[in-house]
Amino acid sequence: MIKHLIKMVWNRKRVNFLMTLEIFISFLVLFAVILFAVYYTDNYRQPLGFEYRNVWNVSIDRSGIDNKGETVGPEIPPSHLLSNVRDFDEVEDAAGVSLAPYSLSNSNSVIEHNGRTIWYGFNRVTDSFKDVMGLTIVAGKWFGPEDDGANWQPVVINQRLARDMFGSEDPVGKNFPTGNDTDITRVIGVITDFRQDGEYAGLDNYLFFRNDINGAEASPLQNIVVHVRPGTTAAFEEKLIERLQATARDWTFDIEPLTSMREQVSQIRLIPLIAAGVVAGFLMIMVALGLVGVLWLNVTQRTKEIGLRRAKGATARKIHTQILGELVVIASFGLMLGIIVVVQIPILDVISFISARVYAYSLSISVLLIYILTLLCGLYPSRLATRVQPAEALHYE
Amino acid sequence: MAGTNLAVNEDLKSDTDLQKENIMIQLDGVEKVYRTDRIETVALTNINLSVKEGEFISIMGPSGSGKSTLLNVIGLLDVPTAGSLELSGKPVTSYKDRHLARIRNEEIGFIFQTFHLINDLSVVDNVEIPLLYRKMSNSERRKRALRALDRVGLNSRVHHFPSQLSGGQQQRVAIARAIAGNPRVLLADEPTGNLDSQMGDEILEILKDLNREEKTTVVMVTHDPRQAEKTERIVRLFDGRQVN
Ligand SMILES: Nc1ncnc2c1ncn2[C@@H]1O[C@H](COP(=O)(O)OP(=O)(O)O)[C@@H](O)[C@H]1O
Ligand SMILES: [Mg+2]
Repeated sequence: MIKHLIKMVWNRKRVNFLMTLEIFISFLVLFAVILFAVYYTDNYRQPLGFEYRNVWNVSIDRSGIDNKGETVGPEIPPSHLLSNVRDFDEVEDAAGVSLAPYSLSNSNSVIEHNGRTIWYGFNRVTDSFKDVMGLTIVAGKWFGPEDDGANWQPVVINQRLARDMFGSEDPVGKNFPTGNDTDITRVIGVITDFRQDGEYAGLDNYLFFRNDINGAEASPLQNIVVHVRPGTTAAFEEKLIERLQATARDWTFDIEPLTSMREQVSQIRLIPLIAAGVVAGFLMIMVALGLVGVLWLNVTQRTKEIGLRRAKGATARKIHTQILGELVVIASFGLMLGIIVVVQIPILDVISFISARVYAYSLSISVLLIYILTLLCGLYPSRLATRVQPAEALHYE
Repeated sequence: MAGTNLAVNEDLKSDTDLQKENIMIQLDGVEKVYRTDRIETVALTNINLSVKEGEFISIMGPSGSGKSTLLNVIGLLDVPTAGSLELSGKPVTSYKDRHLARIRNEEIGFIFQTFHLINDLSVVDNVEIPLLYRKMSNSERRKRALRALDRVGLNSRVHHFPSQLSGGQQQRVAIARAIAGNPRVLLADEPTGNLDSQMGDEILEILKDLNREEKTTVVMVTHDPRQAEKTERIVRLFDGRQVN
């Protein structure tokens, strides 16, 4: 019977071509949307590695209002700024960080290590950053005063980078090959993770440099993350800004809770996906209506054939199965073409940030959805086919 | 029982039980009324007919007299409004789809005036159609279809498509399809109606061969008195009634 179905579909290929094409295109569109939806969902379910609640970010613009990138006014020592912030009762702790979480600005580096290319994001933070953000140390230790004056540069990396770089070996105490031969960089600790771009971003390798604000090479603060006491209201923003402004009157300070920055990042990620989802949804509806129409027409054009089959011993059920079966064959042809196109992407490594697992998962979901969609479209026309009365269908004048 | 049938049965002059066993088709008081919203068409009135196993009869009558309807009732394509039908001694009591489908498939081979071949399928695939609705391996199906095509002299055309054949050849494919499942009854509705007389004669010869060699019971509707003459018995219909 399957052989017969395939033969029927193949011999009617001119009629079925359009349906195959429609299914092929809808599959591609659906797959693209589902791939990103699955990718985001998968990312979302991974631990973030830090706590964003009750953390505010103060961004510091040292260039003044009319200045073009150059620092205005006197350079205020970072430690001075931080202690000003810590003075408030509302503040539990504060830390300096070059690139704030959810700011969507990143620094990345790439190194060749044992013949492999390893990417990682990096950031430069002060010693209190771990406590402000609630980072979790899994091996070694975080930065502290004991790192002052070491003749190597201490770094803390995330587990993924540790695995990528050192495999199963203990990374703590190992030199980290930054590609810079003059300075020694040494791993002193490993954290679970720090997903700076938030929940929807892919999983990345990450590395922290220490900003030794008391040392000779202290770098100016670009952001201060402030852990406020639970229940602190927005009114405190004013007070904090006032104090900072008084400390460095030529600089500009801007405060935003991480919850609201997180919200914005979510929107930036999700709005295009939702828009694409809506477009894909409409496309599916159009395709579905088209399919129902074509199938309906097919059935009415084939009443003689259906009547003949009934006269030759087909039950109504067999007719039903045949119409749906042909549809499944047509859908399978379309899907086969679609899958051939879609598997080129991982083969050619076009979007390497999406894992094979997410890829396979999205592929299965899309294939399943297309089959469900086509079967739904076939439900009514195939019912119609079962109502064909052989005597009437074969009647001629 | 109507007079015609009795007359035929008298010829046998043998044991009544044996006679009953030999009856292939038996209709008693069959009526068929088509009801649509406004019109009611009486297509058959009180049809009593018995056809013996291995008999070749023809049904004649003017257009619209109910010949096709009668054939459809016998072939279980249509349900009689009243009356009873027996096929090879078994009364058809259930008009459930599965039951009908099985009898149509195993007992009956239909042949139509306009052939009703599926244009999207090759000759041999067309012939396999009734066998698709039986449990059978693909190779067995193919074997039987080829044998049936051989029977009608078309083994050189198995992979052609219907549109590549002449009318006579198409009807031979339809006959092959009708006999592929070895039915005991062939029902032919004006099988030569669309063919010229020479092709028509060829088709009739094939049907007669099948009747003679396989003992297949044949009921043929025809317009052509010359062809009807060549059958064992003629049943005449007028306005849905049997006439003598
Ligand atoms: N499906 C139908 N619905 C209504 N009337 C029908 C139907 N089929 C046949 N008839 C009517 O029944 C009568 C007999 O038709 P038919 O058996 O086709 O005649 P014949 O084959 O002898 O030309 C005709 O009057 C025809 O119009
Ligand atoms: Mg007719």
